Amino acid sequence: MDPISHTAVASSNAQDLAWVVLLFPLISAASIPLGVGRSRALTHAMAIGAVATGFVLSVSLFLLFGFTKGGIHATPLPWLSVGGLKLQIGLTVDTLSTLMLMVVTGISTLVHVFSTRYMDGDRDYPRYFASLGLFTFSMLGIVLSDNLVQTFIFWELVGVTSYLLVGFWHEKPSAADAAKKAFLTNRIGDFGFILGIILVWSAAGTVQFTDLAAKFHTDPRLLGGLTSLAGVLIFLGAMGKSAQVPLHVWLPDAMEGPTPVSALIHAATMVAAGVYMLCRVFFLLDLPAAWPGFLATLGGPSALGIIAWVGGITSLLAGLIAIQQNDIKRILAYSTLSQLGYMVMAVGCAGPDAAMFHLTTHACFKALLFLGAGSVIAGCHHEQDIWQMGGLWKRMPTTSICFAIGTAALCGLPIVTSGFYSKDAIFASALAADRPVLFAVGVLVAGLTTLYMARLYLVAFLGEPRSESAGHAHESGTPMTLPLVILALPSVTLGWLPIGSFLKEMSFGGGHPHYPDSITDILFDPFNHSPLGAVLGLGLIVFGGFVAVSLYWNATVDPLPKTLGWVSTALRSRLFFDAIFDRVVVPIHDAIAALFGLIDRWLLQGLVVRGGSGAVDLVGRGLRLVQTGNIQTYGFLFVIGVAVLVILALK
Amino acid sequence: MSPVTLLILLPFVGILAILLTPSKYAFAWRLWAQLFSGLAALASLFVFFGFHPGAAGYQMVQRLEWNSELGLAFHVGVDGLNVGLLLATALVGFAAVWVSDEIEKYTKLFYVLLLTMIGGALGAFASLDLFFVYFFNEFALLPTFLMIGIWGRGDQKNFATFQITLYLSLGALVALVGLVCLYALSGANTLDVLVLGAWLKEHPLPAGLQTLIFGLLLFGFGTLVGLFPFHSWAPLGYGVAPTATAMMHAGILKKVGLFVLLRGAFPLLPLGVQNWTGVLAVLCLGNLLYCGWVAMRQKDLNLLLGNSSLAHMGFVFLALASTTVIGITGAVLVMVAHAFLAALEFALSGYLYRRTGTLEMLMLGGAFRQMPFIGAALIAALMAGCGVPGFANFAGELTVMFGVWSVMPWHVVIAAWGGLVIGGIYMLRAIRKVAHGEVGKVLEGKPDVVGLARVPYVVLLLALVFFGVAPGVLVDRIRPSAERVVSLATAGASKTGAAGHASVLNPTSAPAH
Repeated sequence: MDPISHTAVASSNAQDLAWVVLLFPLISAASIPLGVGRSRALTHAMAIGAVATGFVLSVSLFLLFGFTKGGIHATPLPWLSVGGLKLQIGLTVDTLSTLMLMVVTGISTLVHVFSTRYMDGDRDYPRYFASLGLFTFSMLGIVLSDNLVQTFIFWELVGVTSYLLVGFWHEKPSAADAAKKAFLTNRIGDFGFILGIILVWSAAGTVQFTDLAAKFHTDPRLLGGLTSLAGVLIFLGAMGKSAQVPLHVWLPDAMEGPTPVSALIHAATMVAAGVYMLCRVFFLLDLPAAWPGFLATLGGPSALGIIAWVGGITSLLAGLIAIQQNDIKRILAYSTLSQLGYMVMAVGCAGPDAAMFHLTTHACFKALLFLGAGSVIAGCHHEQDIWQMGGLWKRMPTTSICFAIGTAALCGLPIVTSGFYSKDAIFASALAADRPVLFAVGVLVAGLTTLYMARLYLVAFLGEPRSESAGHAHESGTPMTLPLVILALPSVTLGWLPIGSFLKEMSFGGGHPHYPDSITDILFDPFNHSPLGAVLGLGLIVFGGFVAVSLYWNATVDPLPKTLGWVSTALRSRLFFDAIFDRVVVPIHDAIAALFGLIDRWLLQGLVVRGGSGAVDLVGRGLRLVQTGNIQTYGFLFVIGVAVLVILALK
Repeated sequence: MSPVTLLILLPFVGILAILLTPSKYAFAWRLWAQLFSGLAALASLFVFFGFHPGAAGYQMVQRLEWNSELGLAFHVGVDGLNVGLLLATALVGFAAVWVSDEIEKYTKLFYVLLLTMIGGALGAFASLDLFFVYFFNEFALLPTFLMIGIWGRGDQKNFATFQITLYLSLGALVALVGLVCLYALSGANTLDVLVLGAWLKEHPLPAGLQTLIFGLLLFGFGTLVGLFPFHSWAPLGYGVAPTATAMMHAGILKKVGLFVLLRGAFPLLPLGVQNWTGVLAVLCLGNLLYCGWVAMRQKDLNLLLGNSSLAHMGFVFLALASTTVIGITGAVLVMVAHAFLAALEFALSGYLYRRTGTLEMLMLGGAFRQMPFIGAALIAALMAGCGVPGFANFAGELTVMFGVWSVMPWHVVIAAWGGLVIGGIYMLRAIRKVAHGEVGKVLEGKPDVVGLARVPYVVLLLALVFFGVAPGVLVDRIRPSAERVVSLATAGASKTGAAGHASVLNPTSAPAH
C-alpha cells in the first residue's frame, strides 16, 4: 500500500479513537444533570461505562500506535486564529500520551467503581459522578493535547474540576476553604505558566509541540537570553499542579475531599499532570542555560538545575513532615508530595523517562494506598487518626494485605515491588547527571519513606484496636475491595516492564536504550545497571524499617514528640509553610486592598464626588441644571427623530 | 430594509405597542416587551449568522439621508466591531426583560424605559454616523438615571443616582465637545465615519488638533466605561440599580464608549492615538490592579461585581493601548464576552437580592444548597469572571495577553497577575461566602428559580459557553475590522511591531521595556 495513504488512514483512526476517549467522560457528565441523574444506577453505569470504554480504547491505542516513533498527529481543529496567533485543538497519540491515557483511565475506572460504595449514602451522588466525569475529561485533555495553549486550557479546567471535587462537601467550611486554597495556589503557578507560554510563542511563532521541537532542534538559542526564564516560568505551572515547595500547601488540605477523589487526584491525575507536562516539553527545559542581562551576572543555573533542586527539596521536606502526621490521609498526602519531588527531581536530572516510569508505578500503588485508606476510613466509621485504629489486619484482611503490598511498593522493597525499579531509575538519573547531593537526598528520602509508612502500618493495622470504632471495623464489600486487589497486581509487577527504557527510545530520543533479556536480568536489573543506588536504597529501607519497628511495635502513643521536642512540633505544624501563606502572602494582598479600598471610598468618591468643598458641590448643582435642560432637549430631538425615521422608512 | 434597521426598530415598535395598550390590559405590557425583545434577539441571531466572516467592509448597510445640510444621515451597517455587540445587546436585552417580573410599580413606564435602553444601544452600535452613535447612546443612558431613581434600592440610592448622573453627564459632555470639534474642524461637514474617513485621508488634521480631539474622546467616553480614575460611579451605581438596569448598563451601555473609540477615535485620529496610548497604558493598570484590589475589599456582592467589571475593562484598555491586530481582536472579544457575563452576574445577584433583601456576603451563604440552579449558575458566572476556560472571557483575555506581549510585555505580566491571581482571590472568596458554606439565615426557605424563569440565565450562560468553546466564530468576524482599525490607527506610525507582527519580538530586548 502507498505509505502516504496508509499514514492518513492510521492517523484518522487514531484521531477518532482518541476523541472518543476524551469526550466520553464529558458526555456522561453532561447527561447526568440532564436527566440521567434521577436514577443512581443509571448514573454510575453511565459514568463507569464511559471511563471503562476509555480504558479499553486507551490500551488499543497504545498497542496500535505506542510503538510508532514520533507518534500520530491528527489534523487539529481550528480554535482561534488572528495574525500570528493560531490556536488549535489537536490530539497527540504517541507512546507518552497513550501510556498516560492508560494510567488515567485505568485508575479513574477503579476509582469510579470504588465510589459506588463509598459515596453510596450521599445525597449528591449524581453531582459526584458528574464532577468526576468532568475531572477525568479535563485530565485527558492535558494528556492528549498537542500544543501549549490547549494544555493550559485543560490545565485550568483540571484546576476548576478539582475545586469542585475537593469542595464536594461544600457546606463544610474546612472543605470549602481547602478547595479555595487549592485553586488559588494553583493559580500562582498558572500565572508563570501562561507567561512562559506567551514567551515561547513570541519567539517561535507557534505553540504546537512538534513545531516547537523542530524549531528548537534547529536553533537551541531561539529564545536568546530568555531561555532559562521561559523554562522556569513553565515549570512554575508544574510547581502548582504537582505541588512543589512552596506551592505544595494546597495538597494536604485537599484531603478534605471524598477519599476516592484523593486517590484520583493524588495518584494518577492532577498532581501527575505537572510531571507529565514537564516531560512533554522536556526539549524546552533541556536548552543550554541563558539568562537576561541582569540575572546572568549571578552566573545563573540552568532551568533543569532549578527544577532538580526544587524537586529534591520537596521530596525531603515532605518526607520529614510525613513522619509526624497522625491522620492516615495526611500521611499519604505528604508521601505523595515526597514522591512527586522524586519525579520532578528526575526531570531536572535529565531523566524524564525515569520520571514517567515512577509516575506510572506510583499511580498504581498510591491509588491502592488511598483507596485502602478509604476502605479503612469507611470500615472504622470515618475515623482517620491512626492512633485510634490498630489491629485492623484481623477485621479487614483483604484491605490489610493490599495495603501492605502498596506500602512495600512505596518503600521500594527490592525485586517484589514495582516501586523498587522506578525509584532506582531516578537514583540512576541523579548519578548520571552528576548531582551527588541530590542522589544522597533521594536515598535518604527512601529511608524516611520506609520509616513513616512502616509507622503507619504498624500503628493502624497491627497491634490491638485502640478505639471502639477500630474494634468494630469491617470490610465494605466487593465494590471497595475489588479495586484494591486489581491495583495490587501492577503494584508488584509493573516494574518488571522496561517502561523507562522504552520511553527513552520512543519519546525522549535516548541514544542506547537498555533492555534486559533474561528473567534474572529483569529482576536484578537495578543491581547490575546502577548498583550504588540499589544497594544504598536497600540499606536505608532496612534502616528505616528497623527504626520504625523499634519505635512503634505495639506502641500506644507516639514516642517521637517527647524525644524530638521542638523538631517534632515543627514537623507536626508542617514546617510552618501554611502559616507563611496564611499570615504573609494573603495579608499583603489584603493590606493593599484595604488601602486602595480606603482611597476609593474616601478620596475618589468622598472628596471628588460627595464634595466637602463647596466648589464641587457647585459644579454638581450646575451640572444638574444642565442635565434637566438636556432631558428636554433630548426629548424634543427624540420626537422629531422618530417622526423623520418613520416617514423615511415608510417612503 | 436592512435587517439591521429592523433590529433597531423592533424595540421601538414594542414601546409603541405598550403605550397603546390601556392599563386594563396591564398584564400585556410585560408580554409585549418579552415578545419584541425576543423578536429582536432572533433578528440579531439572523444578523450575526448572516454576516459573512472574512469579508472586508460593512455589510447589511442602509443609509437614509436625514439632513444633508448638516451632513446627518441615518446610516447603519455591520462589521466585525459591532456584529458581536449587536447580538449581545439583543440577547442581554431579552434576558433583562425576562428577569424584570420583580418590578411591581409603574410597570408600564419601566418596560418603556427598558425597551428604550435596548433600542438605543442597538442603534448606537449599528450607526455608522458618530452623531447617531452619540445620540442613540444618550438615548439609552437617560433611562438609566430614571430607573435607578425610581426603582433603585438601598439607602445609598440618592447618592448613587447623583454620582452616576454627574459622572456620565460630565463624560458625555466632554465626549460631545470632542465630536463637535471633529465635526467643525475637519471641514468634512459630516460625522459619517465612511465619508469622514475618506476625507481625513486626503485632508488630515494637524497633529495638535488630533491629539486634542482624541484626548477629549478618550476621557469622555473613557469615563462612560469606567476608565481609572473616573470609575468610582460604576460599582455603587450598579449596587443600587434595579436588576435589568444593571444588566443593561454594565453589560451593554458601558461597551458603547469603547466601541466609539474603536469606530471613531482610533481609525480617524492616528496621530492622536500615538500621543495618548502611553497615558492609556498607565491608566489601564489602574483598572487591572487597583480595581481588582478594591474588589477584594468589598463585602457587598454587587460592589464586588461592579469593581471586577472595571477590572475586566482594564483588559480592553490595555489592548487599545497596544494597538495590535491580535490585541484589538481580543479587546472586542472581551467586550462581547463581558456583555454576557456582566448581565448574568447582575441577573443572579438581582435574584438573590429580591429573595433575601441583602447582598451582604456575610449574611448570605449556602446558596448552592438552598437554590441549586441559582447557586450553580453563580459559581459558573464567577468562575467565568476569573478567566476559566470554557467561557468566552478566557478566550478574550488570553488573546489580549498574546496580542499585547510584543509591545508591552511588562503590562502582560501585570494583567496576568490581576486576572489570574487577584481575580481568582476575590471571585473564589465570593463563591466561598455566597454559594458555599452553611445556608445563611436570610436564605432559609427561599425558593430557587424554576421552569421558564430559568430562560434568561440559560440564554446568557449558553452564549458564554458557546463563544468560550468556539471563539473562532467571533474572531473570524472581528479580524478584518481589527486589521482595518489597526492599519488606520497606526498609519505613518514610527512604532514598528505595532501593526500586528507579533512574532517579530526580539526576545533579548523584551523585558527591558
